[in-house]
Amino acid sequence: MARMRFLCDIERCIDCNGCVVACKEGNGVPVGINRRRVVTINEGRPGERSLSISCMHCSNAPCIAVCPVKAIYQREDGIVLVNKDICIGCGYCFIACPFGAPQFPKGDTFGKRGVMDKCTFCAGGPAPTFSEKERRLYGQNRIAEGKVPLCAAMCSTKALLAGDGDKISQIFQERVARRGTGAKAPGWSVAY
Amino acid sequence: MAGVANTWGYGAMTNSMNDIRHSKCIFMLGSNAAEAHPVAMQHILYAKEVNNAPLIVVDPRFTKLAAKATDYVRIRPGTDTAFVMGLVNEIVTNGWHDKDFIQKRVAGFPEMCEKASHYTPEVVEDITGIPASEVKRIARILATHRPGTVIWCMGATQHSIGSSNTRALCILQLVLGNMGVSGGGTNIFRGHDNVQGATDMCVLSHSLPAYYGIKDGSWKHWCRVWDVDYEWMKSRFHSKEYMNKKGFTLARWYQGVIQEDKINQYTPIKAVVFWGCASNSQSQYHKLKKALDLLDLVVIIDPFPTMTAAACAKDNVYLLPSSSQYETEGSVTSSSRQIQWRFKVVDPVHDSKDDYWIMNEMVKRFGFHDKFYKNIKKIPDDITRELCKGSLTIGYNGALPERIKKHTLNWETFDVDTLKARGGPCDGEYYGLPWPCWTETHPGTPILYDISKPVAKGGLPFRARFGTEHTYWNGRKENLLAAEGVYNPGSEVKGGYPEFKNIVPGTNWKTDLSQKTIKEAIKRGMAPFGNARARCVCWNFPDQVPVHREPLHSPRPDLVAKYPTYPDKKDQYRVYTRFKSEQRPELVKKFPYVLITGRMVEHMGGGAETRSNKYLAELKPHMYAEINVRLANNLGIRNGDMIWIESPEQGRIKVMAKVTDRVDEKTIFLPFHFGGMFMGKSLEANYPKGTEPYAIGEPANIVTNYGYDIITQIQGTKEGLCQVSKA
Repeated sequence: MARMRFLCDIERCIDCNGCVVACKEGNGVPVGINRRRVVTINEGRPGERSLSISCMHCSNAPCIAVCPVKAIYQREDGIVLVNKDICIGCGYCFIACPFGAPQFPKGDTFGKRGVMDKCTFCAGGPAPTFSEKERRLYGQNRIAEGKVPLCAAMCSTKALLAGDGDKISQIFQERVARRGTGAKAPGWSVAY
Repeated sequence: MAGVANTWGYGAMTNSMNDIRHSKCIFMLGSNAAEAHPVAMQHILYAKEVNNAPLIVVDPRFTKLAAKATDYVRIRPGTDTAFVMGLVNEIVTNGWHDKDFIQKRVAGFPEMCEKASHYTPEVVEDITGIPASEVKRIARILATHRPGTVIWCMGATQHSIGSSNTRALCILQLVLGNMGVSGGGTNIFRGHDNVQGATDMCVLSHSLPAYYGIKDGSWKHWCRVWDVDYEWMKSRFHSKEYMNKKGFTLARWYQGVIQEDKINQYTPIKAVVFWGCASNSQSQYHKLKKALDLLDLVVIIDPFPTMTAAACAKDNVYLLPSSSQYETEGSVTSSSRQIQWRFKVVDPVHDSKDDYWIMNEMVKRFGFHDKFYKNIKKIPDDITRELCKGSLTIGYNGALPERIKKHTLNWETFDVDTLKARGGPCDGEYYGLPWPCWTETHPGTPILYDISKPVAKGGLPFRARFGTEHTYWNGRKENLLAAEGVYNPGSEVKGGYPEFKNIVPGTNWKTDLSQKTIKEAIKRGMAPFGNARARCVCWNFPDQVPVHREPLHSPRPDLVAKYPTYPDKKDQYRVYTRFKSEQRPELVKKFPYVLITGRMVEHMGGGAETRSNKYLAELKPHMYAEINVRLANNLGIRNGDMIWIESPEQGRIKVMAKVTDRVDEKTIFLPFHFGGMFMGKSLEANYPKGTEPYAIGEPANIVTNYGYDIITQIQGTKEGLCQVSKA
């Protein structure tokens, strides 16, 4: 069984935010909710690097472990999803997540949060596949259509890879091996 | 583009985006492709990764592209020619130039070297701020990594010596022998998806479509194509003089209204039509706004009301809502000279009409509908057919609508590396029939001036466009045709030859509508436009060889004396244009910081469309100015503070400070996509209700300075001065 994963190639990501906008447009995500973000470090200085990040669909996902109502579950292919009919908006998952993936609509009173929203790997949700309810609550179900998630499909430099973990790691390994830039091992650039 | 066309024949990208995959070195000057051309980055990064190609980025700003560079070179704005000629000098001095290529295919080399010899690494360091050792190091990288490609954008062109900058870059490639080969070339990235198409159709004031110019012969050629009477056409003009007189340019048209500079036209301009054009992308915008308020009529044809509509204080505006590209169809030409058919996705929504409908209704009301649409029955196919028929200069004649559609519908059959179809219905042809596509069976020309292929298979020599012989200022006479032994495989003549003419008496390859001349040339294995040398010396330019001239508003008064600008130009595109009289060395005392502008990836052009998209507006909601950390601290400005930026022309804008190391201590950077504010005031109430953009801000161009290129009159928005203060 395929294990779905994301991989962002840091040498390729140019911080264009194409992934972010594709995700939002394609899934009808409200303004203020970010299923995916591009993070940049050392901005404007040598060593500037960007990375596109979302829910990483962890094995042993901490969000699942802390959810008091068992609203979050993991599919057989590794995709972690939330059932919005069950979620109570407590925010434990947000605190547990190492990537800041769970998102909540901004409420007007303290503690009044809506249900959690996060990256679905474009695999819809627990509502019937291709149903109106699935689309409204979770967005597209491109996995069921046999397509890769919108973010990876849109990536202008093919930095963001998504799909079966074995396959994308193979693509990435081939890419690294073909890079003429050497092994990048410590001391490599000064060795003679 | 004028600089490029005057070097070797055509003013377009010589290779293609995909061909960059074969480069052994990528030299990018005045380009921030990571933000302006993100999709092209996949080819650039591929060459960097797979070929281990050095990626050299020359820019005043540490851009997102610079973040991907192997070698970043910070340059003082407006000194590109000095740097590039310095590289040329260093390459020639060390004997790294391609002697065989230069001897056989290049003209004016010794004369060029004489001028370049001034730019020693030490002189370059003084002018550009780039250390002499860096000049030497970069020259060595270029010499040891061939073929390399040179890429530039508006960072190179938007200067008072923009056309010298582009020529210097061409000379660099000639000296390295990087022309006419895969992985080499000058790859000039155009701004939008159809800028090359718009240029080819000459949406310009000095030429009819396909670069025919506006002389009598050009008008007669197009009148034959359109099948209208030349005398009738003449009768439509105020007088014959104006039929052949270059018009106002996009950069300076508003002077035709406000007349702060003297104009050379019998009347001021009374009406203006903006068709898909953002007025806030023009410099000294506060003066343009003055013009908007004086005009009798302003027509805006656009999917959004645009900044122009909001800027007009007078009730003189008509908005014609046009549909987007997804709601119409037709041919578009990419930066790589490739033509593609854009199919319609949905019918126009929100009561908008497509551009063809709007044009049709206007022409009807003007009363020459019968003549305008004489050859056009089916829209848009017949429009493409008509333009192909007339555009012989750039070989659009083979790119018929049926062929374009076939390519677009079968694009999976083309190879990503070579652009060539392998099998399938387009077997052997290059994707999008890159022009020139000489005949209905020609595969297109993927790389210009490549003599390794027969002309019939997409090869070409340099174009013979500048005569057959020239005597230089030093008395040396040179044959401008290519040397013996330089020819495309199968050529009847085994060396240089002039252009084809009089195959059909009284015509040449550009004006023979029967296309017999072109077919005859191809049959004989030769290029219709001849086989000549590329020029290092352009005797029709004020600087025959590119030399450094300080920007009009320079931060270095000492260099103004040494490298002064040109004398004023009395009649440049119908308007008096100041050079010498505008170059005031004392200006830097009151306006101590250099001002540059550029793009951000989230917004596009004037931003009317992207600032009206909630997700893009969410990502980049504010207009800002990039200011260096040291400068900000010295001025007591903190990140997020509001600041005033003022120009020598009394333009001022209030924007948010973004404190960053991207720019150096002397430079302020502004993105130019914002609109909806004007010198501290919101214009939001001026938009029709419900059409206000999600993000509004001050147009950067309110503070961009006076200054225009000597040849093309492109605005010098990458070399102004400004003052900064806390708001």
